[in-house]
Amino acid sequence: MELNSRKITGIFISALTGILVFAIFFMLLKNSPSGAKAIRADVFSLLSKSAFQAFLSVIFSLFFGILLAWCLNRLRFKGRNILIGLFAAAIITPGLVLSVGLIEVWGRAGFVNNILGSLGLKPIGSIFGLHGIVLAHTILSGAFVATMVLTRLNAIPTKILKTGQSLGLSAWHRFLIIDWPAISGALPSLGAIIFLLSFTSFPIILLLGGGPANQTLEVAIYSAMRLDFDLNYAAQLALIQLVICFFIVLPSIFYLPQIASAGKTQKLKWFDSKPVIYLQTGILIICSLIFLSPLIAVLFDGLGKNLIIVFSKASFWKAGLTSLIIGIFSAILNLALALALCFARAEIKNKTLRAIFYVPVFAFMIVPAVVLSLGLFIGIRDLNIEPVVAAPFVLILANALLALPFSVAILSPPIEAANFRYSKLTKSLNLSGFRRFKAIEWPMLGSEIGVVLALTFCFSLGDLGIISLFGTDDFATLPWLMVRAVGAYRNNDASAIAAIMLILALVVFWLLPKIMKRFADA
Amino acid sequence: MIKQFFAAILLSLIFAIPAHSQEKSILTIYTYDSFSSEWGPGPALKTEFEKTCNCTLKWVSASSSISALRKIQLEGDKSKADILLGLDSSIISKGETTSLFANHGVDENDIMLPNDWRSDIFIPFDYGYFAFIYNSEKLKNPPSSFVELANMGDDFKILIQDPRSSTPGFGLMLWLRAAYGEKSNEMWANIAPHIITVTRSWGEAYSLFLKDEADMVLSYSTSPAYHKFAEDDERYKAANFTEGHYLQIEVAGILAKSKNKSLAKEFLEFLISKKAQEIIPTTNWMFPVVDIGLPESFDGLISPHDVLMFDGKEIEKNSQKWIDEMFKSIE
Amino acid sequence: MLKIDNIEFSYPEQTSPFCFNLELKAGEIILISGISGAGKSTLLDLIAGFLDIEKGSIILDGFDISSLKPQQRPVSILLQSDNLFEHLSVRKNLALALPAKTSAILLNEKVKQSLAEVGLQDFIDKKVAFLSGGQKQRVALARTLLLNRKILLLDEPFSALDEKAANAMRELLKKLVKEYSWHTIIVSHNLTDIKNLNASHYILANNQLTKTAS
Repeated sequence: MELNSRKITGIFISALTGILVFAIFFMLLKNSPSGAKAIRADVFSLLSKSAFQAFLSVIFSLFFGILLAWCLNRLRFKGRNILIGLFAAAIITPGLVLSVGLIEVWGRAGFVNNILGSLGLKPIGSIFGLHGIVLAHTILSGAFVATMVLTRLNAIPTKILKTGQSLGLSAWHRFLIIDWPAISGALPSLGAIIFLLSFTSFPIILLLGGGPANQTLEVAIYSAMRLDFDLNYAAQLALIQLVICFFIVLPSIFYLPQIASAGKTQKLKWFDSKPVIYLQTGILIICSLIFLSPLIAVLFDGLGKNLIIVFSKASFWKAGLTSLIIGIFSAILNLALALALCFARAEIKNKTLRAIFYVPVFAFMIVPAVVLSLGLFIGIRDLNIEPVVAAPFVLILANALLALPFSVAILSPPIEAANFRYSKLTKSLNLSGFRRFKAIEWPMLGSEIGVVLALTFCFSLGDLGIISLFGTDDFATLPWLMVRAVGAYRNNDASAIAAIMLILALVVFWLLPKIMKRFADA
Repeated sequence: MIKQFFAAILLSLIFAIPAHSQEKSILTIYTYDSFSSEWGPGPALKTEFEKTCNCTLKWVSASSSISALRKIQLEGDKSKADILLGLDSSIISKGETTSLFANHGVDENDIMLPNDWRSDIFIPFDYGYFAFIYNSEKLKNPPSSFVELANMGDDFKILIQDPRSSTPGFGLMLWLRAAYGEKSNEMWANIAPHIITVTRSWGEAYSLFLKDEADMVLSYSTSPAYHKFAEDDERYKAANFTEGHYLQIEVAGILAKSKNKSLAKEFLEFLISKKAQEIIPTTNWMFPVVDIGLPESFDGLISPHDVLMFDGKEIEKNSQKWIDEMFKSIE
Repeated sequence: MLKIDNIEFSYPEQTSPFCFNLELKAGEIILISGISGAGKSTLLDLIAGFLDIEKGSIILDGFDISSLKPQQRPVSILLQSDNLFEHLSVRKNLALALPAKTSAILLNEKVKQSLAEVGLQDFIDKKVAFLSGGQKQRVALARTLLLNRKILLLDEPFSALDEKAANAMRELLKKLVKEYSWHTIIVSHNLTDIKNLNASHYILANNQLTKTAS
């Protein structure tokens, strides 16, 4: 195999991430105070419950995501791009914030029941339970699916659309003949990602699950680790989760779907018949209400008079600054790692190596944040470093790693395509190193780089898993502060912080891809 | 330029943490988060104690007292912790069995608890009772026992916490067990239809309750005092159950590996002094352990018919089994 | 008779609008050339209905078709490439040109007939993805036969083909236009096509069409 600096860097990083996963499990097993215990019987029931819930989430997310993308692709109206941007941002909404928003809308004293009550109708049933979990996952992942599918639909060549329109294809035939072939390729990997996200979901299940009946493996790992201090058992459960998720996901992670930022408007307008347009409009309005109402509820609830109280606190500004710095550095580190990995993989020709190259990276989608946090904590301790000193660095590293699978999924397809197209040209011009990046990849990847930075920033902004071991009074982030406020009867302060976090996430997700694209185009 | 700016901020952030004065000795106290937060007793206690001790008090907080204990265990020999503050009487044996703690040797003569609880290694600093809280404007006839609770109408809902992750959740499990013994599983099954959800933390359940998602929430008998004190709101009340209420005592202990044992002892003595005890009721919302008289906001709080409590060792022996049984009963 | 009567159109931020005038008889072929970006495809899109005209009218045999939707207009289009759905068979692609209710027997008959006209009857069950560029264009022509609409618009139909395939396609096109009397407008940069197809020639420049001396 011919080696160059890109390949060497990428392989080194891939190997390093792999070693880190092993190291974390090794630390847990080595430090577990008790000897190996037999797996308790409830694991199998946990597994089947988690899998069933994740399966439902996948089905609903795909169905509603495709439906939504279909409407958004066909309809043209004012504010369409903003709406698409909001849907794209759904995936970065912290689970805790979304759950609270759902309760505001669908809860016993929520918005829907208030309306029903004033109309003299019977209230709807409880939001807590399996349906609540699946609803939350469908909102998070369905909006994500919608934006991905929409990118694919928008990428259908105009020529094909002209032919189809000229032939007078019905709405159903257009979907079957033109749309389905364009999107079906992305569905297995999308499904796999949703399955993983739902299978390892944490705050949503804890808040909306309604009790122990709807637990996941992830929650069991958390309780084994934090409450029973049974590190061995936690490591065993995490390993089971790792193995199962890999079996489900491995076959499909090689067809990485592309993640879109804000949608681009297609030039050609497709003419549908009147009833179809009414149907699309109806679906879009209902879906928008269901998908966006929890977020609006969070904003509405949080932006009241307590905003001033929160703003007047030094602790808020300190936590805000910490969150911002951690987020920015996580995003930069994450981008650097992702670029190095994607560049290397694009250069690699060996099929086996290509196949396993991203495996260590994708492991971080399955390793629970609490496990990662604890493993790093023990590692830091063994290196004789004070956790307080290491905390910012650990947080940056861990957040960067946890978002890495997403970044790789976003960056890899366009980088592979660019490499395929220009590899001969770059060789003949002898472009390499930073010059090559500046000349070829940077101008092409501007907005994707923006999405990657924004995504990591937002993930890091919402983190509660990693900070749980490293947070102190002097070192707090916004979500940490929010949980503190809830724990001290200050619910209004917590709502305000949640709203601020949501706005910050939306603004970053909206602006960064645009700014990066502007830089890249310049 | 931008890079250097961020690097400077980051560095200042990191070095700001250990940058305490070097001449004074540092007393490091691990505790649960809401104790040391700006709303809790932590800041005021620090100010008061530092006036006299010629030292620097440093709070290190974890999300719960048990997490603080785990943190110390994980840090092992490298831990800087001198005191662990905030373990409660239900999980105390988890601390006792680890031989992490030294005898405190503090004079406990002034301490007055509802029962005769004493320990050589832990000093109690406050106590409270678990109770269900309701809004008296919306709920005119609250249940006055678990039996009545079980017999409420179908749409009567309560919020409770997970016994594995939350102190009140664990407390409720013990409460029912103490009141009903082997029959508590039956009682759990009767109550189950009224449980709208089981949350991870007290805060989540309580904020759902304030959003009116349920009629009652498991909390402390002192919760109404907060609303009265901070919000001038007297609607919230605790339901007084005829079975009695479970007692929670919060304690602090000196770590065996502490290098500042005399300073630590000084702090524990301060902690049960009148000065410190006067801070606790309206910041930690618990009862003081010495006789100082209660603030006005504590007027009208319920006094239990009976005080229930298990021995720590019995809890340690049975808790896993009890939790499993409880989950089976409500599933 | 197809009359394009003073139709106007402008893209956002375009200062002066396109303004097109054109007349052609049934069976006549008009070739339009111009530098890239001159607006050749825009003209075809306006006639086909993919873009809405702002002024003027498009009149076919006395009827104004400019307010019809693309699928209602009597227009067949044939582009440089991507005229067919690659994942479907030739038969299925052609079937899309016939009304949905057409019986299987009749459908089979008609598809075979049209394929015979373009000389590809043996390819009926092949997937389009496996055809050559020339074969694909001929299948697209066969579909035009089935649609049997009075206007045929072609956008660089030969440019993706090699010389031999392009010539075969030209002959076929000439024959079919004559046979079926299509009003045919072809956009091409290859001026030898004027002679090859026996076409009149217009140049598109400065947002309008100008006829050249033949």
